[in-house]
Amino acid sequence: MKSMLKKGLLAAALMASTAPAAMAQECADADRVPITWSTIAGFYTDAMAELVSGFEAGHCVKVNVVNIDNSQLYNKQVIEMVGQTGAYDVVTLETSEKAEFAENGFILPMTEYFADKKAQLDDVAPTLAALTTQYKDDVWGLPYYTYTAGYIYRADLFDDPTEKEAFKKRFNYDLAVPTTWAQHRDIAEFFTRKAGETLKGEKLTKDFYGVGLMAGPFPEIQDEMSGVLWSQGADWLTDEGKVPVDAVEKAMNDYLELVKYAPPAALTVTYDGVMNQMKDGQIAQTYSFFLDQWPNAVQTETSVAGAKMGVAEAPEKKAYIGGFLLAVSASSAHPKEAMDFVAHIGGHDAQMEFAKAGGTSTLMSVLSDPAFAAPESRGKTGHFSTLLEIFDSMKGFRSNLFDTPFGAKIYNTMQIPLQSAAAGQISARQAAERLAVEVEKICGGPCPIGK
Amino acid sequence: MLQRESSFAKEALRYGLIVLVLGFIVFPIAWMIITSFKPADAIMVSPPRFLFTPTLENYVHAIYDKNFLFYIKNTLFISVASTIIVVVTGSLAAYSFARYNVGDGHLLFFILSTKMFPAIAVILPYFLIFREVGKTGIGSFLGIGLDRPGALIISYTVFNLPFAIWLLVSFFQDIPRELEHSARLDGLSRLKVLAKVVCPLAAPGIAVTGVFTLIFSWNEFLFAYILTRKAASTVTVGVESFFTLQGILWGPVAAAATISVLPMLVFVLAMQRYMVRGLTFGAVRG
Amino acid sequence: MSQSLSVPASQERGAASPTAMSDRWFSILLIVPAMLVILVFALLPLAYALDVSFRFADLTRGRIGDFVGLDNYRAVLHDRAFWSSVGVTLKFTLTAVTLEMVLGIAIAFLIHGATAGKGIIRSLMILPLATSAAVTGLFWRYLYDTQFGLINHFLGLVGLPEPNWLGDYTIALWSVILFDVWQWTPFVALIALAGLQALPKEPFEAAELDGASTFRVLRTLTFPMLKPVLFLVLVLRTIDSVRLYDAVAVLTRGGPGTVTETMTFYLYRTGLKLFRMDYASTMAIFFLYAMLVASLFALRPLLTQFSSRASEG
Repeated sequence: MKSMLKKGLLAAALMASTAPAAMAQECADADRVPITWSTIAGFYTDAMAELVSGFEAGHCVKVNVVNIDNSQLYNKQVIEMVGQTGAYDVVTLETSEKAEFAENGFILPMTEYFADKKAQLDDVAPTLAALTTQYKDDVWGLPYYTYTAGYIYRADLFDDPTEKEAFKKRFNYDLAVPTTWAQHRDIAEFFTRKAGETLKGEKLTKDFYGVGLMAGPFPEIQDEMSGVLWSQGADWLTDEGKVPVDAVEKAMNDYLELVKYAPPAALTVTYDGVMNQMKDGQIAQTYSFFLDQWPNAVQTETSVAGAKMGVAEAPEKKAYIGGFLLAVSASSAHPKEAMDFVAHIGGHDAQMEFAKAGGTSTLMSVLSDPAFAAPESRGKTGHFSTLLEIFDSMKGFRSNLFDTPFGAKIYNTMQIPLQSAAAGQISARQAAERLAVEVEKICGGPCPIGK
Repeated sequence: MLQRESSFAKEALRYGLIVLVLGFIVFPIAWMIITSFKPADAIMVSPPRFLFTPTLENYVHAIYDKNFLFYIKNTLFISVASTIIVVVTGSLAAYSFARYNVGDGHLLFFILSTKMFPAIAVILPYFLIFREVGKTGIGSFLGIGLDRPGALIISYTVFNLPFAIWLLVSFFQDIPRELEHSARLDGLSRLKVLAKVVCPLAAPGIAVTGVFTLIFSWNEFLFAYILTRKAASTVTVGVESFFTLQGILWGPVAAAATISVLPMLVFVLAMQRYMVRGLTFGAVRG
Repeated sequence: MSQSLSVPASQERGAASPTAMSDRWFSILLIVPAMLVILVFALLPLAYALDVSFRFADLTRGRIGDFVGLDNYRAVLHDRAFWSSVGVTLKFTLTAVTLEMVLGIAIAFLIHGATAGKGIIRSLMILPLATSAAVTGLFWRYLYDTQFGLINHFLGLVGLPEPNWLGDYTIALWSVILFDVWQWTPFVALIALAGLQALPKEPFEAAELDGASTFRVLRTLTFPMLKPVLFLVLVLRTIDSVRLYDAVAVLTRGGPGTVTETMTFYLYRTGLKLFRMDYASTMAIFFLYAMLVASLFALRPLLTQFSSRASEG
């Protein structure tokens, strides 16, 4: 009954929206419809302010932006949704949270809204669209930012003749961007050196490490582990909704091989720590690392003399993939305006502006725009072409983690056993078993998978 | 002569130890303040950099880009209001407990026991209470509700009252009763006795209680984060906007933290006079 | 306390105006404002938690659900993570509070004996408290960092081993304790100092004239007179330590794994990450129950003392 009423209202609102947009321009401040967007703090705040005013110029709406720390965004939004406060009209969701918000009626489906805007929906990179916009035959919003992972490395080390020679001598093949796990591990081992040893023929003043990892107490170790697990053909959840213990154990053991070559701080940091290590010249490469950090990583070229950064697909061509989705709260008092806002921010024009400011867009038309491939854009958008390759390699990829309404809770819990193993407190087997137990507890049995 | 030397050695030892203790206490804060003046490229470097060209850019960022003074203003209002309520109602109650033994200790125990319930378990009920109150006319008139300062003022009052009452009871009990009795004999009403005789004597205790109440309110995070969104957010929540997707903005965080320590320091310095009054206590009594 | 000056009750009453209320009513009126606040905002949430603890309540799956009897209590009792968090909490509280009390009292004496500069010392002492743990904890994380931290930098300079303060599961809890000691020892010291300064002078002057040894003065005069305020600080610190959340949240988030996961952090994870308010409420009830039982024993001497001092004269 209630939902029918809502749909009716929505239809009425949709009809009203066909009125010419021009009239919006001459609207008094007092007439503006207030909507609130809860989003991630420090997220290209300046660029966002411009995108928002761009929207306000065309619509009689006043957008209030609430910045929340990424680690608190999920619970803060859930509380407001459960409390049906209507405080947030537009919410920002991580890929694993979409199913939960959709299944529990926290957000409104936008299928009807996009019915006549098919082109806009089709512009979203298809690999991403499948993971972020769709759940059970409905469209739930637009991704406006992707953190899809790849491989960021110190290209100058790979080009150095002394290092190349030494590598070849030791491993019997050429030093190059790794395409397999074994190669990645070899490179990590190869570049791990103590202070006093040499790197590129120069004496190191501090320890140098083969790889920077995000094994700290944050929900990012699972993003790296996803790369290992997925590239081995497994997933966090089987189609029966259970954790495949053997597969997770194997992936965990492989990951532990890598931890040996990471700085000790790997156990306490997340991506920003890895970036700090990179910019201070302490690590040679990353694994399954968020490519949206590229503009950050490039700064290494100014902070470390002679450094040159490179970006590529992750080894085995599988890595963590997803994006931040904008969706409209079910308790919003102005769903129509909120949906317009989602369409605006996720739309081509706004995404172009966003990309120019350093944001990592989700639209094919933006990612493939030749302007962003130009050498002078390298510092901000040098990773776009790699993203296109990743989307191509991972075409049609699905993970059950993103299709269970318990995805967010599993995602927020899984780093605990994984991190215990990384810290050496428990074995890979124990970590996999604990994960299975935790997941079963969260779902109250096998996890439902809604495709 | 020998005695003087040994007492000099003792003093030297004492101040040596004090300096050591203060060093341990101050060093993390000092490092934070130093960081607040560092350019961005001198913070996350190894080995740590001690020599650098100081810059004010972090303060500019915190104050202008992040509008941090807005959070300072909110926090000041909320924590001062809450502290006044706590000190006034707490003093009244504590005096009653200390002098008249209301509830024979059971009430005092009950009051302390409210502090034993984990904050996280009460957060959702609080959220629901304030959501409902916020919808009413009284709520909007008094500024109570979600994302309104009243919600935090009330919350902080509830948390700090048990602590304040218990601390004040112990201070009030140290005041000799004789003074009150003679004041009563002089014809002063009970409330006047409390205000004119007891409170001045208990000033050090009240000052200490006030200082800590203010500090606890100033630093609270969990409730501020759940019960506010933006309009009534406090500094601890405001700092969150410095944790960005490009990493923590260490310099601006340090600047913001340094700014937020200042009001507390000024307040403590201002209260020093009252806190020291305890020294003259014995004289009054004699 | 001298009784000779106390005024007979009848005389006292005579001094007040005839319309004055009785002591009893006056004393009750004094506590009304405080009690009102406490009753509403302490009992309502407690009632809510009790109610929820007997129901199914996964907030992300609808609202508060059906009555499930004692299921939640059973589930919590069999929850290994819950008991492990209890262990962490006990270990933390015992160590941190002991250290803070001993160091705090020692520092209070140290400062009390100082002849000059007390004002500045006190102001500096308040620094760790004047910034929130959410922020200072962040800077401690920076100090503890193995790649960029100041602590390991200095240790390295003098050739000492450089521990992974927050990443090594065998020492992470100690690192959190060290932070807590840093933050709260000044609190103990400042209150103990206020207590020391409030002590009457005469008994000490008399003892000095008698030529009593310092140790004797401490044992027979100072500590007995300081006892109430010290005991109070001990109680407050214990309650706060058992409820430790901020420091863990910012330093380790309970990690590595669950090595530093205290009860309240587990409660937070259950209630605000998994949104199982039923389990969270049940744990909170357990928590309250344990605290009440423990404090009934621990607080008895303090309560008796308060009561007897309040009823005398």
